[in-house]
Amino acid sequence: MILALVVVTALGFDFTNGFHDTANAMATSIATRALRPKTAVALSGILNLIGAFLSVEVALTVSNAVVRIQNADGTPKESLTSDGGTALLLIVLAGLIGGIVWNLFTWLLGLPSSSSHALFGGLVGATIAGLGWAGVNWNGNGTKLDGVVGKVILPALISPVIAGVVAAVGTWIIYKITVGVAARFTENGFRWGQIGSASLVSLAHGTNDAQKTMGVITLALIAAGDWTDTENIPFWVKAACAVAIALGTYLGGWRIIRTLGKGLVEIAPPQGMAAESSSAAVILASSHLGFALSTTHVATGSILGSGVGKPGAQVRWRVAGRMVATWLITLPAAAVVGALMWYLGNFVGGVAGAIVIFTVLIAAAVGMWLRSRLAPVDHNNVNDEWEPVTAPTPAEKVTL
Amino acid sequence: MSNLGFALEGAWKVLLAGLILGAGLPALFAVGIRSMAFGAGGDAEVDHAPPHPIGRLVAYVLFTVVVFVALLGITFIVASGFGKTISFDHIYPTIVDK
Repeated sequence: MILALVVVTALGFDFTNGFHDTANAMATSIATRALRPKTAVALSGILNLIGAFLSVEVALTVSNAVVRIQNADGTPKESLTSDGGTALLLIVLAGLIGGIVWNLFTWLLGLPSSSSHALFGGLVGATIAGLGWAGVNWNGNGTKLDGVVGKVILPALISPVIAGVVAAVGTWIIYKITVGVAARFTENGFRWGQIGSASLVSLAHGTNDAQKTMGVITLALIAAGDWTDTENIPFWVKAACAVAIALGTYLGGWRIIRTLGKGLVEIAPPQGMAAESSSAAVILASSHLGFALSTTHVATGSILGSGVGKPGAQVRWRVAGRMVATWLITLPAAAVVGALMWYLGNFVGGVAGAIVIFTVLIAAAVGMWLRSRLAPVDHNNVNDEWEPVTAPTPAEKVTL
Repeated sequence: MSNLGFALEGAWKVLLAGLILGAGLPALFAVGIRSMAFGAGGDAEVDHAPPHPIGRLVAYVLFTVVVFVALLGITFIVASGFGKTISFDHIYPTIVDK
């Protein structure tokens, strides 16, 4: 019973991961009208689906980077499975809920925050609550980049800067090179480059992010005794995760797309291509070097960079500041929710406890969804001007 | 070595690769666009110069290079999913075990 809740919640997390991150790949293409909004999210969803199936690499040890609930080979710690896995499942469930709640909350505010940070934060919080501070892998063992500091905090500080520098350089060069070419000619050409580079980001996102959820579900299955193979993951888990992230992507986090595409910088096609190329290159290079990072941080850094690199472009630093503030509190905030959920679940105890915290999650999700309906953002108004413009005169309304 | 050391070690490599691929390729693409405009002439350029067919040819060559490298990127994603990676030991890319 608890296992079923964990699986459903994990897929729910995967789904929020999808719509939270559509913006990373497609915000720029939507903002420059290289693609129609619906086409963009459909393309991104399909590429995420393909990407998720391509990620056959086993991500079972994903939680090891931050918490100590698994052995080095991916099997759960014996001390946590002695009661049929309930102890471990409760930690994982509480952690996932922490991640989802934070993802939904930041979506409501239209802020791009890292889904991986939310997941790790939730797990860290639930682990602190369940096992104490020593249950968290803060700093690794000094032999490689590891722990909360090495896998989460440092990459979050470094990767947006790298992506920003690359995008700024790329944008600057592009504008230098295309001086003297008619604007309409460049815009059309770069739209194609933009679609190509954004597709690459979507594909890379599918391979990177879906496997985290796959690892978490498989861990839960092993803890409950329903799966024993630590080298492979069940096919249905892979298929379910792939579909969940693709559907989430297709739904589109329009609020976040709007912030990234219109809020930070007014993006023109050459900047869009520079930004997406920078994101794709940085994400691929990092995963090649085993340098864990968040697609969200990279994409935001790139878009900012494309604003810095274009002479005379306006960058809304206040919006950027809000984003950075969100990144800083993502891990602790998701951790607090995860910890509270664990205490609540543990207080009620057993299956009933799991059901109670699952109900809290549903209530929070429905509540935030209802709140979002008060000021909906969807594919129709995603590209509206960021700054409130003066009301159009009746004559203008007709021509619109 | 501390986590910070490892992170900085990885960071400069990512920055280098990012600059070459993430800024270099778009720059190449931009040269392609420039060349295409040079080839098309007329309204494609601000100075309305006459068309130069060679520009179009150069543009297609550059676009091919960009697409090829992008395809290499996709191959890399797919290959790493199957526990393989791309090696440049023989100059031309080959798929090898990790």
